[in-house]
Amino acid sequence: MAASEIVLAGAADRDLTQIDAYREVGGYATLDRARGMGPQAVLDELLTADIKGRGGAGFPMGRKASFIPKPGQNPNPTYLTVNADESEPGTFKDREIMLRVPHRLIEGCLITAHAIGSRNVFIYIRGEYLREFEIIRAALEQAHGAGLMGDVTIVLHRGAGAYICGEETALLESLEGERGQPRTKPPFPAIAGLYASPTLINNVETIATVPAIVEHGGAWYADQGTEGSRGTRVFSLSGNVRRGGNYELELGTTLRDLIYHHGGGLPGSRRIKAIIPGGSSVPVLTADDIDTPLTFEAMADKGTFLGSGAVIVIDDRCCMVQLGLRVAQFYMHESCGKCTPCREGTRWMVQILRKIEDGRAEQAELDLLLDVCDRILGKCLCPLGDAAAMPIASYVDKFRAEFQAHIDAGGCPYKGESSLERVFAPVDQHTHHPTVEVPA
Amino acid sequence: MPELVTLTIDDREVQVPKGTGLVETAMGAGIEIPVFCYEPRLGPAVGACRMCLVEIEGMPKLQAGCTMTAQDGLVVRTAATSDKAAQGQNATLEFLLLNHPLDCPVCDKGGECPLQDLTFRYGPGTTRMVFPKRTFDKPIPISPTIALDRERCILCYRCTRFSEGVAEDHQLVPRNRGAQTLITTFEEEPYRAPFSGNVIELCPVGALTSTQYRFEARPWEIQNVPTVCTMCPVGCNVTVTTREGKVKRILSRNHPEVDQGWLCDKGRFAFSHLRAEDRVTQPLRRVRRRGFATISWEEALDETERVLRGAGGRIVTALSGSETIEHAYGLAKLLRTGLGAHSAVLPEETDVAIDAFRLPLSAIRGAELIVVVGDDPVAERAPVVDLWLKLARRGGAEVVTIGAAGSVLTAPGSAAQTCRELAGSGSELGRRLRESERAILIWSSPGGHGGAEIAALAGELGFAGKPGSGAFHLPATPNGRGVADAWAAASDDEGPNPEPIAVLVVSGDEAASDPHVRALAERAETVIAIVMFERVALGWADLVLPGTSYLERDGTAMNLEGRLQRLRRAAIPPVADELSWLSQLAARFGVDVSPYPAPVFEELAGTVYGGLTLGELGERAALAERAQIPAPAPDPDTEPARPSDGHYLNLLPYRPLFAGAAVERVPELQFQRPAAEVELSWDDAQRRGISSGDEVLVRSNGTSATLRARLNRRLLPGVVRIADEHARDLHATVEVTKP
Ligand SMILES: Cc1cc2nc3c(=O)[nH]c(=O)nc-3n(C[C@H](O)[C@H](O)[C@H](O)COP(=O)(O)O)c2cc1C
Ligand code: SF4
Ligand code: SF4
Ligand code: SF4
Ligand code: FES
Repeated sequence: MAASEIVLAGAADRDLTQIDAYREVGGYATLDRARGMGPQAVLDELLTADIKGRGGAGFPMGRKASFIPKPGQNPNPTYLTVNADESEPGTFKDREIMLRVPHRLIEGCLITAHAIGSRNVFIYIRGEYLREFEIIRAALEQAHGAGLMGDVTIVLHRGAGAYICGEETALLESLEGERGQPRTKPPFPAIAGLYASPTLINNVETIATVPAIVEHGGAWYADQGTEGSRGTRVFSLSGNVRRGGNYELELGTTLRDLIYHHGGGLPGSRRIKAIIPGGSSVPVLTADDIDTPLTFEAMADKGTFLGSGAVIVIDDRCCMVQLGLRVAQFYMHESCGKCTPCREGTRWMVQILRKIEDGRAEQAELDLLLDVCDRILGKCLCPLGDAAAMPIASYVDKFRAEFQAHIDAGGCPYKGESSLERVFAPVDQHTHHPTVEVPA
Repeated sequence: MPELVTLTIDDREVQVPKGTGLVETAMGAGIEIPVFCYEPRLGPAVGACRMCLVEIEGMPKLQAGCTMTAQDGLVVRTAATSDKAAQGQNATLEFLLLNHPLDCPVCDKGGECPLQDLTFRYGPGTTRMVFPKRTFDKPIPISPTIALDRERCILCYRCTRFSEGVAEDHQLVPRNRGAQTLITTFEEEPYRAPFSGNVIELCPVGALTSTQYRFEARPWEIQNVPTVCTMCPVGCNVTVTTREGKVKRILSRNHPEVDQGWLCDKGRFAFSHLRAEDRVTQPLRRVRRRGFATISWEEALDETERVLRGAGGRIVTALSGSETIEHAYGLAKLLRTGLGAHSAVLPEETDVAIDAFRLPLSAIRGAELIVVVGDDPVAERAPVVDLWLKLARRGGAEVVTIGAAGSVLTAPGSAAQTCRELAGSGSELGRRLRESERAILIWSSPGGHGGAEIAALAGELGFAGKPGSGAFHLPATPNGRGVADAWAAASDDEGPNPEPIAVLVVSGDEAASDPHVRALAERAETVIAIVMFERVALGWADLVLPGTSYLERDGTAMNLEGRLQRLRRAAIPPVADELSWLSQLAARFGVDVSPYPAPVFEELAGTVYGGLTLGELGERAALAERAQIPAPAPDPDTEPARPSDGHYLNLLPYRPLFAGAAVERVPELQFQRPAAEVELSWDDAQRRGISSGDEVLVRSNGTSATLRARLNRRLLPGVVRIADEHARDLHATVEVTKP
């Protein structure tokens, strides 16, 4: 066990999917303590910890929880919703958390529910995550059997194969049985979320961190990481790297450390060409940025985001146009179709990128591509549109020569040799539907 | 007084009540924030189309103006003063047009299309799209009345939001995701619902078009006439589009107190009855048993005069309740003052007592408790009232329906008894009605003494003193009240019911289709029918004088609220209208009837409408104040309810919304007419082993009908519902069996 592990702590040596093992490492003791504290005292610890949401947007969790009306301020019930829809390409940390420390997630749910006065918790789990679903379900049964639930009900809800249902308001629509499309904000979910009632939505990792924060105190947690990025994160490392996988590291660790020290560097003699630091939605970095610390603030300085904590290493065999096409296809496929710029713009982007890749594009179309991105950016109903436009624009910005070469040469300079083998999955792999049979 | 806020839009200072929508605020200041998806009648803004992007000081990103409300100190810039906003709107239009077919020259919407208009104002002049456009099969008939062109659709979701959130029929839905999203009907079944046509008007492009209007006219060739629909007692305000004197379509003309801009499909689509192939365009005389011969107007007037003179006053008149007030008055004056013929079969009269509880229909939206008494679904008697009820329910009002298919089940025909119970001290619901400041009662059943029953209840509940509480009576005919007023205004004299009847004068196709009137006709020596459709009169009328439609008349009508409204002639009738020949005929009896509606109205308004003038009615008529009338005592003898013994079932016949001589003549509306079905309660169906869709035999003393069964889970056990056109000869109690 690396000293820095908080969320995954203890899981290397034991099977923490079993409640007894989890209890042996101190599990559920914090729940008892938290229930003995007043809700505000728990909230205060979260505020002191200053943990930012791990789902992508990075909003401070304690502050979001404080927006939830106090008892008596709102006639409706309060809900806690855990976002386990994890579908951002390159991101696979929540599944590891659910597979290995399901009880920590459940304990986090129960403590957070106590803090915000909620008796109803929903875990919205990605439809394809059948194994994870079963493990969480088994863990829930154990927690039930151990009489830990108090007056709280935790409902596990399986998604049906839509990336957009990870967006918090689309998730709520989907939970309500509606078409999974985002809502306009305001009102924010904290005021009018699920069934128009106050709702706190947090990522799996965020919630799974809560027990440690309450156990050791917010100040202890805030001590780790950097001032703008407290604590640890589970980074999903993938792409052209020797040892891809999830690494829970203190925030502030550099990309170099993650990729070379933990990930074992690139195979063979390959060289880094680009690094995507926070999932497919964020602007790309180049090899020159290898010493950037993994923090919210450092990434912001570089014009990108820590996002979902998925780091994708792209080596010099990869064609950036092909990568752009693959990413754009994903967003076209996953656009919910509610708002105009994203619905129409992502399709247009794919058409232009395909033309560039095929060597049929004219010079003006490179600028057109950038203009299309610009016309999507900041004009959509939800962040998905930006998530499509930002990375593509950054690929053109930072690798313009490569795009230019496609136009000049009338084709892809990499011919058949470009390898995107380990960089995201091609879009046709997203088209299968999650299994529909629900285990008895 | 709501709090006022001051904000700045395009450097102009604007003051509005806090919370006013930004789009409306700007509009009030003469500034346009262009929109596609925004339509407040469909519920909260969804922010889908992104047409309304504006720049707000202090916010880095453009904002969807439609989702914002007026706040103090807000500084807003629209495309007029902000390059960023202009660029955003230009982008939205470029995206919308990427896959739009731009077939404006052959699109029915061309020339009155928001997409065209906004593209001219805010869009790019040229396209940068060089790829194949997204294509779909088109047009797809989603029903016989509506065609869908998916290529033109800009996915603003107005239509689906209407279906889901206004009409609540849940039939129009979006399918797929992203750029593949398309509008379709649930399970690809035809869109069969009473209010479907509204989506045509809501659609901001030519994606949803009327099959009747398809390729019929271009906007610069048409004339629009503001009038009022009188196919039911709601009296929705409409705009009738004509081209070369022919009615081509009917659109809503939002009267915020009456219809909120919605129409039912009968009012919208039934106009093609004007061109029915059996339309009577010449006077007819009966020849042989079942034939007619055309006669000249001169012959017709001579013959009518001869028959009426020969009757010695033994004349009975049957009125439809769809006549204009003027037309009914002309007829009444001729018959009553010229011939002393005072005997009439009037449409169900309205009791003035209801006027003490008068409210505009829009008051339903603000009510907290609404009780609907009676066996008929509101949508069948007064369709648009049903939309007001749904709006109220969505807004949190409690709507209780008490009847044989209500949320509270009672035996058929016991509406009056229900009123009695609600007035009694033991009723919890009655107590809540009494305590509420905003409660509404609605009578939705036959009978009810023209509203006297429900008025008596309202009186007992103390509604007279509560301006927010009121009562509505849903009558069976569109203008029965106005017709009765006109009949009464023509004379104060009364006469005995003639026996035998020498002449029966039947005014209108509705009266001519009424079985009771037909029974009278059998006892009359001569029948004169004033009808639009030949087949309605065939075989029993001796003399047929051509009738006209409400779309061809000038005049007035009074709706169920007691609102007097102005009808305007939209189309020139193919025949002389009733008033013009009534005037000539009246002259032969020394009676003075003007051939023009305005002087006729002036004459009768002096007696019955306190000297009101047509000018005062205006295009959107106001509702008169509540009358100060003491509430009537309830009628002591109510018909006792007939309990079912389990084997025999009580037949509840009903008049469907899509029925009547006009609807029968509109090919596109045939699919909306009721199937030959019998509605059974769940219990009764179970007991007989019947499921929905089974063919069953419905029998009563000597008559029977083979009908398809349909389970109605809301229906009281022991009751079956059959549309009256399929229930024709069945008696009040029936047996239902599987053959
Ligand atoms: C298109 C889109 C997809 C998203 N998918 C996820 C997801 O799979 N899991 C997640 O936790 N957050 C996702 N988010 C972020 C959520 O909207 C939300 O910010 C987050 O769940 C809040 O939790 P946190 O504050 O703990 O990060 C997504 C956002 C967008 C715009
Ligand atoms: S940005 Fe895309 S995903 Fe988000 S609401 Fe608009 S169409 Fe849907
Ligand atoms: S059919 Fe018309 S109303 Fe419906 S979504 Fe398309 S454009 Fe909007
Ligand atoms: S509700 Fe009545 S008045 Fe309104 S359109 Fe329908 S038939 Fe005409
Ligand atoms: S009008 Fe505002 S988003 Fe459509």
